[in-house]
Amino acid sequence: MELLPTIPSRTETLRAWKAQGGGVAAVLPIHYPRALLRAFGLLPVEVWGPPRVDPAPGAAHLQPYVCSIVGNALSFLLSGGLDGTDVIVVPHACDSLQGLGSLLLDFVRPRQPVFPFYLPRGRRESDLQFLTEEFRALYGKLAAATGRAPSEAELMESIRREEEADGLLTELHRRRRALPLTDIAFYRLVRAREYLPAEAFSALARAVLDAPPTDPRAGVPILLSGIVPEPMALLDAVAEMGGVVVADDLACCGRRLYPSGASPDPFRRMAERILNGPPDPTRGSPIAERLRHLVGMARETGARGVVFYDVKFCEPELFDLPLLRRGLQEAGLPSVHIEVDLNDPLSGQTLTRIEAFLEMVLTLPPPPSAAGEG
Amino acid sequence: MNPIAALRYGWNVNVLGPAVLRLQRWQAQRRPARWDTRYLAPPLRIAPRTKELVARHWLAGRYASGYRKVAWVTSGAPVELLKALDFYVLYPENHAAICGTARLAVDIASEAEGAGYSRDLCSYARTDIGAVLSGKTPVGRLPKPDVLFACTNICQTVLFWYRVLAEYFGAPLVLIDTPFVYTEEAAEHAVRYVRRQLEEAVPVLERIAGKRLDERKLRRVGLLSKRASELWLEILQRCRHRPAPLSVFDQFIQMAPIVEMRGDPETVDFYAALLKEVDERIAAGIGAVKNERKRVLWDNLPIWYRLRYLAEFLAERGVAVVASTYTNAWGELAPLIDPDDLWESMARTYIYPILNRGTGHKLRTMRQMVEEYGLDGAILHSDRSCKPYSIGQMDQRDRLIRELGVPALLLEADHNDFRVFAEEQAATRLAAFVEMLG
Ligand code: SF4
Ligand code: SF4
Repeated sequence: MELLPTIPSRTETLRAWKAQGGGVAAVLPIHYPRALLRAFGLLPVEVWGPPRVDPAPGAAHLQPYVCSIVGNALSFLLSGGLDGTDVIVVPHACDSLQGLGSLLLDFVRPRQPVFPFYLPRGRRESDLQFLTEEFRALYGKLAAATGRAPSEAELMESIRREEEADGLLTELHRRRRALPLTDIAFYRLVRAREYLPAEAFSALARAVLDAPPTDPRAGVPILLSGIVPEPMALLDAVAEMGGVVVADDLACCGRRLYPSGASPDPFRRMAERILNGPPDPTRGSPIAERLRHLVGMARETGARGVVFYDVKFCEPELFDLPLLRRGLQEAGLPSVHIEVDLNDPLSGQTLTRIEAFLEMVLTLPPPPSAAGEG
Repeated sequence: MNPIAALRYGWNVNVLGPAVLRLQRWQAQRRPARWDTRYLAPPLRIAPRTKELVARHWLAGRYASGYRKVAWVTSGAPVELLKALDFYVLYPENHAAICGTARLAVDIASEAEGAGYSRDLCSYARTDIGAVLSGKTPVGRLPKPDVLFACTNICQTVLFWYRVLAEYFGAPLVLIDTPFVYTEEAAEHAVRYVRRQLEEAVPVLERIAGKRLDERKLRRVGLLSKRASELWLEILQRCRHRPAPLSVFDQFIQMAPIVEMRGDPETVDFYAALLKEVDERIAAGIGAVKNERKRVLWDNLPIWYRLRYLAEFLAERGVAVVASTYTNAWGELAPLIDPDDLWESMARTYIYPILNRGTGHKLRTMRQMVEEYGLDGAILHSDRSCKPYSIGQMDQRDRLIRELGVPALLLEADHNDFRVFAEEQAATRLAAFVEMLG
């Protein structure tokens, strides 16, 4: 069943990129203009934690009630994990990432230049204008740091490359159930977008999409929401328990299926793409819009329940949870909420809860729209 | 406007309520001091008036529905727009603080927790959502909002929270998004963005208010806002005097009007009277702490449910907490408000609150306060509920110790949730801190 092309590891990718004389940008979650960094010859490599690092260096700067994505990122940086990178980009996704960006600039002061930027929390014309200008300002900072000044045509070329990769990423998500990949293999592939150059990712995605479709994988179809599916062993465990992830609303995956932009102005186009992405609390999307999106995804994919898999202390997720869960319940979609710390191994308790949830889902009649699927 | 609601409002808020509140003030003026006057100065004479003013504000809210349009507003929002359109303005954060001081916050927040709101969320938000879900409140009744007005210049939490309120009430949410200022100066395009949003908010608010914005009225409100903020700043700066006429615990209580009644003429009168009393204290050599030996800074929100405990504990040991980054936040921006260039100055004023600025800026503010107020140490309340205020404190503390040579304590607590306050541990740490002050 498995037809996963070999995915180069982060380390291999970075080494090969640097060997060609390219620079590397370490990028914190969640939304940022990949095309802009690439136009400067910087390969964006995302830092979602990473999981399982020694949290002690970060704990000297951050209180224990700050999420482990931020805590681990700081620990990773302080223990040399980002030594091979040339700049650090910190999008403003939440109060904790705001704090991290500020700490880096004011106190930690890593060797690399740190570029935080602000993401507006609406989708009004004024938000679009602001983000466009914010990207122009980031361009100026990158130009000063790299000594390069990519032309509009180069920016547009870079944007087209990313749009193509995102189009293929969206297609992978759409056809995920009929792809010859297990869940864990699927996520290894789509999460390679976090560090592979867009063109390399597109080649991989095409290879998978061109393979003959297989029968949809059997199992209890679920939708996965949250920030990041770590530890990835979670996905194997879900499969072993008879579950199959048919759609996701993960910050690192499904919330970043950006549509192509329309504007001929490259900065505005990059801004459009982000603001027109799927609903996300860190971009201020109304809860009702998120709910519609979740229910719509479940209907399209036949998901029969939702697993909210959140990072502990993540306010953006926790605020929406009660109303989302209530709304899902009303739409016939049960849900379960699990909170994890990125440094914890996959716990028996988590697995038991997911297993109980899958069993419970099976006892319920499928929601009307999903009848006959799954 | 509903005529019955108007009658009810007129009778309760303008006739009956004030009479009852005056009587309560009269009684309060005769009541013996509650806080230990062996170590602390007798209560401020103005204290019963503060209570009356605040109670009157909440009384007006109680009867506002059907008579006045109601806006629920975040504490750093550009309230002048709403005041000029005659909205009744309710601050859920203040309401939550009232619940915290009355030690009702945990009971009310539990209602939200029972509905699925995590204990890891800001306790102001939990208290407010709990009040909305259960109707529990010490102020009688909270009027439903006709509009929710959120400004991100204090945190992103308020936007997450107001998105929840928008669903519960079905009320429109007007957002003023204020890009975080990482460096010393806000980018010009960020200021333009805030200004554009302020201008765009006007037609939306006008539609809800059912009236046009009168620019002259807005200017008047702007002036009153500026004047009240200036007076507040003057009052705080009087604490540079030795002994300090007020402690931050007094300031925490006296700050309610500058937060929730900014732009009203009564607020200006109130702070003018407070300033006068503070000056009288200085002239008479009265210090908030009777035996002021050491002077200390407070960083972050108050621990509302332990104000008295902390005030007495420290005063007994001769420690006066005389300055705070928190109370200062409502005064420090006063010079930026320019009623002759209101839109531009509002954009600048509302992008620059301390909570919308970097961790280095906060350290600079603290350093400046240590110098200007002649401080011997700093207590940094590490507030589990307030990440934007608390992140950075570990480095700030280390630098205060290393660079200024003043003892600095990180005190773990939560501004509203007493379940996370370990009193014995706090007492031990405070006692050790006092020892280090010498
Ligand atoms: S996990 Fe949540 S709180 Fe942490 S960085 Fe991501 S969005 Fe922010
Ligand atoms: S206490 Fe902090 S997190 Fe809570 S509303 Fe206020 S500023 Fe935001």
